Amino acid sequence: MDLAISVRGLTKKFGEVLALDGLDLEVKSGEVHGFLGPNGSGKSTTIRVLLGLLRADGGSASVLGSDPWQDSVPVHRRLAYVPGDVNLWPNLSGGEAIDLLGRLRGGLDPVRRASLIERFELDPTRKGRTYSKGNRQKVALVAALAADTELLILDEPTSGLDPLMEAVFQECITEFAREGRTVLLSSHILAEVDALCHAVTIIRAGKTVQAGTLSELRHFTRTTVTATTRIKPTPIANVPGVHNLQKGEDANTVTFDVDSDQIDPVMTTLTGLGIISITANPPTLEDLFLREYRDEVEALGIGRPQ
Amino acid sequence: MSRLSGTGVLAELAVRTDRVRIPVWTVAVAGLTVLIASSYSTIYPTAESRQARAELISSPAATALAGPGYGLDDYTLGAMVANEIAGMTMVAVAIMSVLLVTRHLRTEEETGRTELVRAGVVGRYAGITAGLISAALANLFVALLLVIGLLGVGLPPAGSLNMSAGVLVVGLVFTSLSALASQFTEHARTASGVGITAIIVGYLLRAVGDVQQGHSGSLLTWVSPIGWSQATRAYVDERWWPLLIGIVAAALTVGCAYAAIGRRDVGAGLLPPRGGRAEASPRLTGITALAARQQRGQILAWGVGVFALSLPIGSLGKQISDFIDQDPDLAQLLPGGAAAAADGAFALYLVFLVVMAAMYAVGAVVSIRSEESSGRAEEALATPVSRASWLGGQLAVIAAAAVAIAVAAGVGMGITAAFTLSDAGALGRLIGAALNSVPAVLVIVGACAAVYSLSPRALPALWVFLGYVLVAGMFGEVLPDWFGVLSPFHYTPALPAESFSATPLAVLLLLAAALFLAAVTGFQRRDVGR
Repeated sequence: MDLAISVRGLTKKFGEVLALDGLDLEVKSGEVHGFLGPNGSGKSTTIRVLLGLLRADGGSASVLGSDPWQDSVPVHRRLAYVPGDVNLWPNLSGGEAIDLLGRLRGGLDPVRRASLIERFELDPTRKGRTYSKGNRQKVALVAALAADTELLILDEPTSGLDPLMEAVFQECITEFAREGRTVLLSSHILAEVDALCHAVTIIRAGKTVQAGTLSELRHFTRTTVTATTRIKPTPIANVPGVHNLQKGEDANTVTFDVDSDQIDPVMTTLTGLGIISITANPPTLEDLFLREYRDEVEALGIGRPQ
Repeated sequence: MSRLSGTGVLAELAVRTDRVRIPVWTVAVAGLTVLIASSYSTIYPTAESRQARAELISSPAATALAGPGYGLDDYTLGAMVANEIAGMTMVAVAIMSVLLVTRHLRTEEETGRTELVRAGVVGRYAGITAGLISAALANLFVALLLVIGLLGVGLPPAGSLNMSAGVLVVGLVFTSLSALASQFTEHARTASGVGITAIIVGYLLRAVGDVQQGHSGSLLTWVSPIGWSQATRAYVDERWWPLLIGIVAAALTVGCAYAAIGRRDVGAGLLPPRGGRAEASPRLTGITALAARQQRGQILAWGVGVFALSLPIGSLGKQISDFIDQDPDLAQLLPGGAAAAADGAFALYLVFLVVMAAMYAVGAVVSIRSEESSGRAEEALATPVSRASWLGGQLAVIAAAAVAIAVAAGVGMGITAAFTLSDAGALGRLIGAALNSVPAVLVIVGACAAVYSLSPRALPALWVFLGYVLVAGMFGEVLPDWFGVLSPFHYTPALPAESFSATPLAVLLLLAAALFLAAVTGFQRRDVGR
């Protein structure tokens, strides 16, 4: 499989602080890849290494088949980037900033530029310093999407957008990906990642803790089942792969988590007990994410939903 | 006083954020003043030597640069210090005040920190009061250290107190002036630009006024804050009332600034921002064009300012030669006679004007750093723009503009010198002298670039370096020779007074090239961060 981004064992230190600690990341060509992790886990640092802005201390990184530090200029010809905290040139209007970034990239499609400005409802005549955070992000998004590139690197690109603009953004990314292009999307908005991404990489403290397609990840984790049976469901406790067994509203109702590959024996047992009602919830992306951070969530004293 | 609540905490914060700046400024301004004063005492130990100096300093050219000329009949060390040094000290505290105040009042607001602070239990006037407290403290420290230092040099207490109070009042006037300027524009850079312009105008007014009429006799002297503080006759026959004008002016200006805060939104200026064009002009093609666009306001302001200053300076040549014609004894003391005296003054002033061109360059390199810390460098460098062209393009604009500003100084001086001296050759000579200073300017720009690439945190130290270069250039004759060794002007032949020599210029050019190379290669190797 062709990899647009391949990172292996990446390390980066800032003084004494270890920002990346052997991080791995693989993004296949043509996929929209979610890059998840809390603040300070190393997402932006990784992206800056991928852009050749930071030099890695160890490990390897390859973007579109090249070393981003050595070959930053040819690599940048083929990608566009939107930072999370966009800062514009204070005395340039939004329209001028879009054109400048486009020209630095070797030109942009004026028709696409006009349609994106309209879709994002951006006023391009205002000076950079007078824009709100969301509007600055729109300027950077229009500049990036109007460029004809193979790869889009987005670092929390929608943190300032309203829900309407978030929908426009998702539409634009879907269109972009439909043309067979690649997107690396770092985001905190799990619904956005769920809606757009085929695969995700979850990192923690500069290390990759989980990576794969969303369906694979769901398969590795547990489904939550609530069942009411005719016969009291005590035997469920003995089925392998059942966890967190809890009593329900009445004696014949139970709620439990089951490993995805153990669903079959569980169902067989339940059928033997006579199912009256059953609901099964596959894990949400939020569950996948929080699972990797279970100890931290517990330390913070936040009750996990369910 | 709910409008002032939170002032204490904010003042503490302001002083804390200035905990390095204030001591550095204090020591630099007061320390250098005292250092020059003590050099004077060793260079002019006798009454005769001081009297000879008085003859020289009463020339219009020297008057424009120095002061109103009190005590020239009995030129004591104190009178010398008050007449020749105090003006520069006042300019320095004025610059300090403008920069400190703008930082506290406008930069805070521009970055949005004020909004965060004001959302707390903080009164409308707490921020401005805290900023003013910090700036006033800085001025007070300078004045205190100055009194101690002047007394240490052995100068009389009354005059020392009087002169230091004068310096303090100038600082306070410009503190309040830039507090007011900070209310009008949304941008710290515009606000500090207004403040610096006010200093230049104030200095020019008193220079022209003092040349017109000595002993603060001209009306022009009395519209300049620096003129007020120089009119106190320190060390000659002290009077205090001129300082009252400054204090009243400062109080009125501060009052206006407070009133303005009551009338505007947080984050906004009194002047509304303008809109821009929807599409970029076809000329905005790349980093060089962008840098030129970003810098053009600064380039224009510095260029016009330096050119405007150079015009009266060029005309001083005539006054110097007239003065020497009237006093043939003095001409005998000078090798080369009247012409050489004029050329000597030209060479001295040219250094002053060329250092202003270098000041533009330092400010511009500091703005390259804010391109990086704001994240705009990251946005540009994520496009197919190499680091070498990103940095090189900006440096090319800055170096070209600094050279152009330096040449403008030569052109301005040349025009008025040629007219007043009826010597068409003066234009060519002075443009040549300005071109002669280009290698030194390029060394300073190169040094800024190298510091930016290799140790960006050290950039503010370049302002200190520039102050040193200015002092070494202007006061080189009264300072020990070793003092100037780090200044590139130390190695530049002082045209038009001295004769041209290519070797030192070639060496300086090589040094500049090495510094630029170090800057670009260093920048390619380091991380680009926020």
